[in-house]
Amino acid sequence: MINEVTMNIWSDTVALSRMQFALTAIFHMLWPVLTTGMGIYLVVVEGLWLKTRNPDYYHHARFWAKLYVLNFGIGVASGLPMEFQFGTNWAPFSEAVGDFFGSILGFEGAMAFMLEAGFLGIMLFGWGRVHPVIHYLSTIMVAFGANLSTFWILVANSWLQAPAGGEMVNGKFIVNDYFQAILNPFMLISVSHMFFATLETSLFVIGGISAWYILNKRHTEFFARSLKIAIAVAIAVTPLQIYIGHLSAEQVAHYQPTKLAAMEAKWETSPAGQPADWSLVALPNNKLEQNVWEISIPNGLGYILEFKKNLSEPVLGLKEWQPNDRPKMVGLVYYSFRIMSGIGFFLAGLMGISVIQWLRGQLSPVAIANQTWLLRTWLLAAPLGYVAVESGWIVRCVGRQPWVVYGQIRTADGVSNLPAGEVLTSLLIFAGIYTTLFICAMFFGSRIIRQGPNLNLLVPGIENQPAVEIEPAEFIPDQRPVEAQQ
Amino acid sequence: MENLEHFLTQVWFVILALFLFLYVMLDGFDLGVGILSLTSSNEERRSILMTSLGNVWDANETWLVLMGGALFGAFPLAYGTILNALYIPIFGMIFGLIFRAVAFEFREHSSNKAFWNVAFGVGSFMAALFQGFALGSVLEGIVVDEAGHFAGSIWDWLDWRSLVVALTLIQGYVLIGSTYLILKTEGELQNTHYRTAKLAAITTLIGAVLITVLTPVVYENARAKLFHPPEIYIFALIPVLGVVLIGLLLRSLNQKAEASPLVWTILLFLLTFVGLGLVVFPYIIPPSITIYQAAAAPSALVFMIIFIGFLIPIMLFYNIYNYIVFRGKVVSESYGES
Repeated sequence: MINEVTMNIWSDTVALSRMQFALTAIFHMLWPVLTTGMGIYLVVVEGLWLKTRNPDYYHHARFWAKLYVLNFGIGVASGLPMEFQFGTNWAPFSEAVGDFFGSILGFEGAMAFMLEAGFLGIMLFGWGRVHPVIHYLSTIMVAFGANLSTFWILVANSWLQAPAGGEMVNGKFIVNDYFQAILNPFMLISVSHMFFATLETSLFVIGGISAWYILNKRHTEFFARSLKIAIAVAIAVTPLQIYIGHLSAEQVAHYQPTKLAAMEAKWETSPAGQPADWSLVALPNNKLEQNVWEISIPNGLGYILEFKKNLSEPVLGLKEWQPNDRPKMVGLVYYSFRIMSGIGFFLAGLMGISVIQWLRGQLSPVAIANQTWLLRTWLLAAPLGYVAVESGWIVRCVGRQPWVVYGQIRTADGVSNLPAGEVLTSLLIFAGIYTTLFICAMFFGSRIIRQGPNLNLLVPGIENQPAVEIEPAEFIPDQRPVEAQQ
Repeated sequence: MENLEHFLTQVWFVILALFLFLYVMLDGFDLGVGILSLTSSNEERRSILMTSLGNVWDANETWLVLMGGALFGAFPLAYGTILNALYIPIFGMIFGLIFRAVAFEFREHSSNKAFWNVAFGVGSFMAALFQGFALGSVLEGIVVDEAGHFAGSIWDWLDWRSLVVALTLIQGYVLIGSTYLILKTEGELQNTHYRTAKLAAITTLIGAVLITVLTPVVYENARAKLFHPPEIYIFALIPVLGVVLIGLLLRSLNQKAEASPLVWTILLFLLTFVGLGLVVFPYIIPPSITIYQAAAAPSALVFMIIFIGFLIPIMLFYNIYNYIVFRGKVVSESYGES
């Protein structure tokens, strides 16, 4: 039985095209997550440098830009197949939704990618060629472009989740109102959730790498600065992200009941006006249509969805739909959702503890190196944002199945006319190339980190200052961190 | 009303042609430099070659992404059918471009540069080759059913005619890459590229003559369209202008001019583009689906003109600004920190 299923997958164009899309999307997502979030960080440190003229901020901008550009290159490379495989592998889908979905991808190219690419050269290599203000504008444009790209991609994806602004006529989606389609019900919250996801992931990457340097007693004061910037921004970002995540789940409950049922591995419907259990760990079985094994929290579901014991609306179970009308990979959606939310709470908790230690003065340049466990936890947290982002996308897109456009077009109806052998070949080549790229990126990334910041780089504008007295004496106390004065 | 719809569709055909032309011209010299790097004798030269592209390759490649998105939005049927039919060359091109893109950063950090030199050169070559195959097979025509969906075989793109187009495109890229390097380098390196430019000008000419002669001979459609007045005068003019431009190009190379070889080459590319555009128009999936059949709804075309069309001058402006900031000869060997 298992053999038969396995055989089918390798000769099934739909399954192979889905695997190829999943592989290329999951791999691609790893890189822009950092470049969009870190872009904002680069804007912040360069702004601080222009304001304070403290060379440390300049060196921060230069050091993190090295990791930035490594990510950027792989993001560009792995982004190309994303732009073209809607046509290569999903031609009927492309034809049916091109009027809206294709236009949005076009906007992304014109507004976001080009802006990012057009100013990246100046941001990376233009330090000595343009006025600092022009350079700063370029850095802002690069960050702005990256975040615009988040916006348009999430507009397009939200529309797949909650198609609005038109209707299906003869297998083609006819748009009546483009702005209604852009402002589809999922748009605002999805864009915010992703914006904060990239920012949060980047903050914990920057904080984690900074913690590594402090643990290794390298440039302690320099990296205490970036760690503190990360903590300071995380104070707002981590709780807000949990709240937006909650809003997002409420929307799923309202618009995509099949996805919510899969996220909760819920087979039977819970009626309104009664409490329901919330499943904590389970072993869902799609064939038997039940969880073979489960630990649940009594009356938990009402509290999680509505902050009260009794449900005010029924929560539908998967068995309300025919097996062909609901997601098949229930376990994957169920665990991805738990991993994502668990990481969200863990990172918020880490932020809380870090803030307490900061307030207690334990993060001053003298004391920070003794915070071994806190720093180790930050190091551990560096990759967690990525895991949460990928899990979130799995919930979002695997949970949407069997639909590619929710309730309108089935994934299986959107696939191109292709022999399975060719798709399998391209899938295997992608797997090979992406594995190589991932290993190389880790290798070169850790090499950049081991080398550390180059503090000997000439700071632009320094030649205009008097050569003898580099800094007036009375400014020195001002640059001491606040804790040292307490 | 129908006139307006036709006009909107034609506007998008022109915008797409513009994006494709900008891509072929700009990433064309990137890929040409990449292919030329395979013949570089030492690391220092390869470094200068890659540095000359460091600040521009990404923006140049983005014209391709932009064209993909605009084709998807404006001509969804063509986007689906053409990419479906060209599955293998499209992924061949993408794999090539992936290697080219990562080579910049990875080579900079690597102690074993040889591997990434090959990735850069071979990646550029692969991308150019498969772009040529894709172009060649679209010009040849794609087998479709009545609804315009791809109905041919996945290997239809591969034959001797698309191979001729692919080889010619590679020569064209080498030519524009050489003339770009003439502008950006000096000394011995520049001299080398005066020689490669001359060679590539002649091989491109041979390819172009072959294609110009073959098109009316092999394709009935083209013959019917070309040999009627007044079109015949326009189509007769294009090869004549082409020969004149090649002459001017060779003369400027002999005079060791620095900027004009690139200018003549760009004009040559533009002329070829106008020629191909006139042969293909009004079809977007030759030989049967016109731009009017494949176009998105008029509302979509208007919507896209608002969001993309008005950005075109702005995009051109900051791209040109980028070239102005980095004008002059490449001095630093290092792609990374300056």
